[in-house]
Formats: sequence, structure tokens, C-alpha cells
Amino acid sequence: MIQNYLILSIILFCLGILGVITRRNVFTVFMSIELMLNAANLAFLAFSRLHESMDGHVLAMMVMAVAAAEAALALAVVILLHKHKGKLDTNLFSLLKG
Amino acid sequence: MDDLMLLFPLLIIGSGALLLMLLAAFEKIEVESASYISMGFFAAAFFVQLLVASTPETVLFGKIFNGMLVSSNFTTIAGLIILGCGFFTTMSSHTYFRVNLFCTLEFYAIILFGTCGMLLLTLSQELITAFISLEIMSLSIYILVGYDRSNIRSTEAILKYLMLGAFAGAFFIMGTAFIYGGTQSTKFAEIGSFVAGHSATNPLVLGGVFFIFVAFLFKAAAFPFHAWVIDVYDGAAAPVTGFMATALKTAVFTIFANFLAINGALHQGWITFLFYIAVFTMFGGNLIAIGQHSIKRMLAASGIVHSGYLLIALVAISTDHFTGTVIGYYLAAYAVGTLGIFSALSYLGGEGEKRATFEDFKGLAKVRPYSAAAITVFLLSMAGIPPTAGFMAKFYVITSAVTAGHMTLALLGIMSSILSIRYYLRLIINMYFHEAEEYFETGGSPWATAATFILVFCVFAIGLYPIVI
Repeated sequence: MIQNYLILSIILFCLGILGVITRRNVFTVFMSIELMLNAANLAFLAFSRLHESMDGHVLAMMVMAVAAAEAALALAVVILLHKHKGKLDTNLFSLLKG
Repeated sequence: MDDLMLLFPLLIIGSGALLLMLLAAFEKIEVESASYISMGFFAAAFFVQLLVASTPETVLFGKIFNGMLVSSNFTTIAGLIILGCGFFTTMSSHTYFRVNLFCTLEFYAIILFGTCGMLLLTLSQELITAFISLEIMSLSIYILVGYDRSNIRSTEAILKYLMLGAFAGAFFIMGTAFIYGGTQSTKFAEIGSFVAGHSATNPLVLGGVFFIFVAFLFKAAAFPFHAWVIDVYDGAAAPVTGFMATALKTAVFTIFANFLAINGALHQGWITFLFYIAVFTMFGGNLIAIGQHSIKRMLAASGIVHSGYLLIALVAISTDHFTGTVIGYYLAAYAVGTLGIFSALSYLGGEGEKRATFEDFKGLAKVRPYSAAAITVFLLSMAGIPPTAGFMAKFYVITSAVTAGHMTLALLGIMSSILSIRYYLRLIINMYFHEAEEYFETGGSPWATAATFILVFCVFAIGLYPIVI
């Protein structure tokens, strides 16, 4: 039973990684990162159930708070990018080539 | 009472950040007075940290924080380095913002918030505390990188950094979830006793530790995750780059070492992995640095090389009686050299950082001999020439690798050090053996210049400290 939740969590995490790597839209990339964080939350809850303790629930709450802070900054960056170029395609931003 | 004293620098910095944030609401307060206020807070926190520097390992408020925060000699030294970096960064920003007019009061508040996160990161002995402080630190640094909102280069830098940083953060939290699943705890002490009692090859622990390593290696700019560093350092303002390169690296390596030191079996199992990462980081960084034309990009690449040396030190730590002296010393030596160059760049860079490449610094020694000498000292320290701090730091790292039985790693470290001299000397040659093409006028505020010369003194002081003592 617990395995199913873990497998789902890993699938979500991998989908997130795929999204970050393949997508070109800044918004979609940030959404994929949120997906990865939520996959971790699901894993926390599943393990919390497995160990029959409440720790995992608390940790998931903490992660949510951090994810919210990160999303706030990400949206600010999206607005900033839109002001500069009018588009959100990551390929447009290539002045710095490493 | 002792616990409170050990936590006091963190409280001073935190309250300073909040105070500046409140002051930002008043229009009457000048940006420059904000920089004096934050210098005051940094200096106060530094002296409190200095007072408690020799306290043995203490669990801070064990009953309240449940053993999440542990202070040791290593963490207090890391705290001292971080606070010093903050202090000198504020000094050089004061000068930098005389000519680059995009500063507001919040800039200094955010530096203080970032420092707060770094101090908490050094103290934390629990993965969720580490995650939260890592994010406090990273979010502040993201904002500092993109502070010049009208500049498209810095916007691009914040985009890259935020995307990849959040990606690494997600890895960290997934690793924490796995470790929690495997060991039923996120506290370092309990993870350590689980690994000692069972084995370090439990698949959940193994996967979790791997994910956490990915996050740490990313933040420390080690080999497979180093590409962002050069762009982000290039896009950020010079004082911010200096702060990122030194304080952030100090905090990350402190928690990295604390995490590795929780159990010998854990450390032993990852030695081969860390060995290859260290080698590739050093040589990859050197190859990148040789091809650069901009000084900031060269310094970013040399930062990667220094991460490689720190990884050697991490390979060589002994987990039985972990002190972290070698890592602390290397971090201090690296911090003074890098901060020094960046504070020199802050006042020599000019409006909009128009002097950025090796060519732009031709003939600096003819016009400003003292500045050129200072930069030379920093570069020689980073290259590891005696009697500077950088030489002693490299000496200790290599010796610790030899003592731990990693002869190959020590030899490769020396080779990479010889390679790195090439790009450091290139700037020195440009400064000394060419005619000056311009006047190198500066902004007029003496703070960054003062910071540079204090740091020259620190390079020698730190270098000679182990000999004198």
C-alpha cells in the first residue's frame, strides 16, 4: 500500500525534472519545480504513515511554507522578465553564455 | 546563558535586518546611513562571535530546539568568516553605489537576512532546519543578484540562478524525505546512530544522501553543476558577487562537512564519489578559467577550482574526531583573497562596471600602484604563493590528504595549483607590464579602498598566524 504512494511520488518527481529540462517557458519551469517539491511532500506523508508518527506532517508543512516563499520570488522574476522582453521563452535570455 | 551568547550573533543580525526593513519605510533615511547601520550590526555580531569563539561543542537550547542547533569550534569559525564577509561587503557596496545608482535601503536589509540564514545553516544539525536556512540564504542571494532591475544582464542572471537553485532545493527536500523514510528521523545524530546500527547501504539512505549531495554540490558549484556560477557571477554587481563567492561557500561547506562527519561509514561509502568530483571540479574549473577574458568570469571559474580543493579537504576529514580546522582555515584564506579582489573591483570598476576585462586593467600599476599591489597580493594568495594565506591553506589541505592516505589526490591538487598560476599571472602582467591607457578615476568614497587594504593585512595575518602561534 505504502509503495504505491512512494511510486507516485517518484513519478511526480521525475515528471518535474523532465519539465525543468525540456520546457522553454519560464512559467512551466517554475511549475515543474513546484511539482518536485510536492512530490517530496507526498513522500513525507507516506513515510509518516509508515512510521506512524506525526513528524512527516510537520515537515511537509515547513516545505509548503518555503515553496510559497520561492513561488513569490519566482513570480516577481517572471514579471521582471516580461517587462524586459515581453515574452517568457528562456531561449530569448542568452546574453550570458557560460 | 551560554547558549544565548552562542546564538547572540544570529539574533543581532536578524534584528538588524528587521530594523533596516522597517527603516526603509521612512523616506528621510539615506541609503548611505543604512550602510553604516548594517556595518555596525556586522561589527557587533563579529565581536560577540569572537568572544564565544573558543566554546566547546554545545547543543543550543537542547530542550527547546530538540537538538537541532549545535555549536562547535568549527561553526563559530565559519560564523566569524561569514560575518567578516558581510562587513567587508557592506563597506565595498557603500563605494560601489556612489557610482551605480540602483541601491535602496532594502539592499542592506537583504544582505543581513542572507547572513542570518548562513549563520543558521552553519549551526543546524537537522535536515529541515538546514533546508529552511538554506532557502533563507538562497532567496536573499537571488534578490541581491537581480537587484539592478533595469539591467537585463542581471535579470538574466537571477532567472538562471533561481531556476537552477530551486531545482537543487527540490533535490535536497526529496533527499530529506528519503532519509526520513529510511531512518525515521531528520536529525544528524539519529541518522548517525541508525547508520552505525544498521548499514549505510540501506537503499533509502543511499538515495537520500545522494540527492542531498547533489544539492550541496550545486550550491558549492562543484563539477557537474558548475556551469551556472560563471553567468550568475558575471551578471551580479561586484560586491554581491564577492559576498556570494565567499560567505555562501563558507556556509555550504560548513554544513556539507557537518553532514559528512555524522558517521564514518557514511563518509567512507562516498569517498570514491567525492574523489572524482574533486578532481573534475579542479581541472574543469582551471580549463574554464584559462579561456576567460572578463575578470569576474575568471574569478568565478577560479572559485570552482577552490571548491575542488575544499572537496579534497572533505575527502580527507576524519570522522572520529572531526574538528574542521583545515576546512575552516581554507575558507578563511579563500574568503580574504576573493573578497579583496571584489572590493578592489567595486571601486575600480567605475560606472556600470565599465572596466571588466583583462584589457581594461592594463597599466593599473602606473596610475594606482597601491591598488595594483593589493590586487597582486590577493591573486598570489589565491594562486598559493608563500607567505600568503592561500599558500598555508593549500599546504594544510594537501597535508591532510596525504595523512588520510590519498596520495593521488594530493598530487593532482598540486598540479591544478600550478595550472591555476597561469590565469592569475595574466592579470598581474597586464597591470604591471603595459602602459596605462586611462586615468582609473574612482567614485570618491574611501570605504572600499579601506576594505581592500585591511584585507591585504588579513591575507598576511592569516598566512602567518599558524607560524607565529
